[in-house]
Amino acid sequence: MKRALYITLNEVRLYLQDKGDLAFSLLLPIVTFALMYGAFGGQTMFEATAVVVNEDGGSYAALFVEQLDEIEGIDIELQTAAEADARLERSDLLLALYIPPGFSDTLASGGKAEFIFKQRGNGGQEGQILSSIIRSVAEEMNQEFQVREQVKSGLEGAGIPEDRIDFTVQKFLGEERAQPAVGVAEEVVGGSSDFISQYLPGIITMYVLFALTIGARTIVEERKRGTLERLLTTRLSTGELFFGKFLASVSRGFVQTVILLGLSYAVFRLFTPVSFLESLAFAVVYIAAASALGMIIASVARSEEAASWIGVVFTMFMVMLGGTFFEISEGTVLDIVSKVSINTYANDALRTIISEGGSLGDTTLPLIVMGGVIVVGLTVSRVFFKVVSGGK
Amino acid sequence: MAEEFLVVKDLHKSFHDFKAVNGVSFTIGKGEIFGLLGPNGAGKTTTIRMLSTVLTADSGEITIGGHTVRKEAEAVRSIIGVCPQDLAIYEDLSALDNMVFFGRMAGLNGRDAREQAMANLKLMGLQDRAGGKVSKFSGGMKRRINLAIALMGNPRLLFLDEPTVGIDPQSRNHIYENILGLQKNGMTILYTTHYMEEADRLCQRVAIMDGGQIISMDTPRSLKSQIGSPEQVTLEDVFLKMTGRSLRD
Repeated sequence: MKRALYITLNEVRLYLQDKGDLAFSLLLPIVTFALMYGAFGGQTMFEATAVVVNEDGGSYAALFVEQLDEIEGIDIELQTAAEADARLERSDLLLALYIPPGFSDTLASGGKAEFIFKQRGNGGQEGQILSSIIRSVAEEMNQEFQVREQVKSGLEGAGIPEDRIDFTVQKFLGEERAQPAVGVAEEVVGGSSDFISQYLPGIITMYVLFALTIGARTIVEERKRGTLERLLTTRLSTGELFFGKFLASVSRGFVQTVILLGLSYAVFRLFTPVSFLESLAFAVVYIAAASALGMIIASVARSEEAASWIGVVFTMFMVMLGGTFFEISEGTVLDIVSKVSINTYANDALRTIISEGGSLGDTTLPLIVMGGVIVVGLTVSRVFFKVVSGGK
Repeated sequence: MAEEFLVVKDLHKSFHDFKAVNGVSFTIGKGEIFGLLGPNGAGKTTTIRMLSTVLTADSGEITIGGHTVRKEAEAVRSIIGVCPQDLAIYEDLSALDNMVFFGRMAGLNGRDAREQAMANLKLMGLQDRAGGKVSKFSGGMKRRINLAIALMGNPRLLFLDEPTVGIDPQSRNHIYENILGLQKNGMTILYTTHYMEEADRLCQRVAIMDGGQIISMDTPRSLKSQIGSPEQVTLEDVFLKMTGRSLRD
């Protein structure tokens, strides 16, 4: 077993010496992550900053700004009139909300007050959405005023102090806002609204399968270098050779997967610390299964090109059948055929952990399948190698 | 002849319909340098691959140091060293790293592998380049590293498959001296080459192979006597007479 570990260490050392290969294999997960972020890192809800010029400073103006600030996705940026005017002038800003002086006093005295939107052109798409949101908040405020006035007028002459009426109306309105009579429920059809948690498992499994092609090339590279036969004349057994190469392939895949998962953890915040570790643990088992399949290819391939091509074709086959990029309906022929792809089990397991809040304990079947693939892969590769090479 | 160290009896190996080795038998005495000569495609490398346990013979028996290859392959591998015809080194690693790695494959622990590596590098005159990357070495230096690696693990039988191909006379001479030095220390060597003067200089006995069979086997002097005066006839003359002058590949 020691000799197998020396094979692994030698392989890692050779990998570290090849600066081009090293840079490529470390950059690849980063590039993959960047593409993922570009595709899925966008916002799932509208977010914008509303520039507000509060020239009034009164209580109703403050109340309005407060209600606007409570809306999810809207940030308030308070500016002076001069600042907002200057930004509008140079098109640094497309829309600003002005609360004019006397706004609160006018409302307090029962008069009608109005906001002013200053905009460049039509205010841009974001500006139009913002102005709709602001108008809806203004409408809500309007309705609250009406309710308050009607309650006041109904209780006129009842001897109840005005501030008490205001307080009570405000309290009931607050309760209504907290539990409205008419609610809105969201239903997502055809997948999750959270694309990244839906697609990340498939991207990871597809990525891990690169370990298969790397593993497939290792023996051929040794043969090309001339060192394979030399190794076969030493005390190193075929089993130790294959196991050592297998471990090297797993190590390399592990480093790349840590980079990819680590970046996903840091940026997308899909994981808890426990689910991150569980995802990584499962990924390691999956990498080992892919590497074991790579060893089978390595045992029969006679050239680097053959090893690469077989590896790529095999990877594509596994990815397409494994439900990586599209859902496979249950009970169909494709569903039955997909059971031969290790990606199917890996995708199920990672979705369970990443998207569905499950744990490693919920992935027993995939783990068993991966374990079986590892054992069979390492055993079969040795047998094939002996048959193909006609010797040891 | 000294005590037999390598015994080959009626060795056969075919690849599909092609008989690469067809009934080869010979012995090598302990501490002897035995030459295996033959044109391209004669079966020399196939024979060496079977002796070094890389290839399984179809039939026949091989005994090395009292161990049969068929049943005690691991024991055989623990006492042999192989210097293949093509360079078999990791060019991205240093000379020392190559030596230590193969030392570990030969069963040495880290410290012993390092010590032996430095000793063998010194033997090959490469001790000052131990830390150098092999890719930067000249052809002659790479050949010497190739040979030095075969010495890791203190083998008792050395297979040298054309170890001086394509190198300058100085490096070649250095290798000859090393080989004779190894023999003096009791090493048994099976040597293949296309350079007849090499075989004449180094080998106590030579076997000439052609078409998968040994067609002649004796000391260089006796072989030369078969066709003329040993002082005037060269081993190349003997070789060409026995194998013919037509091109083989």
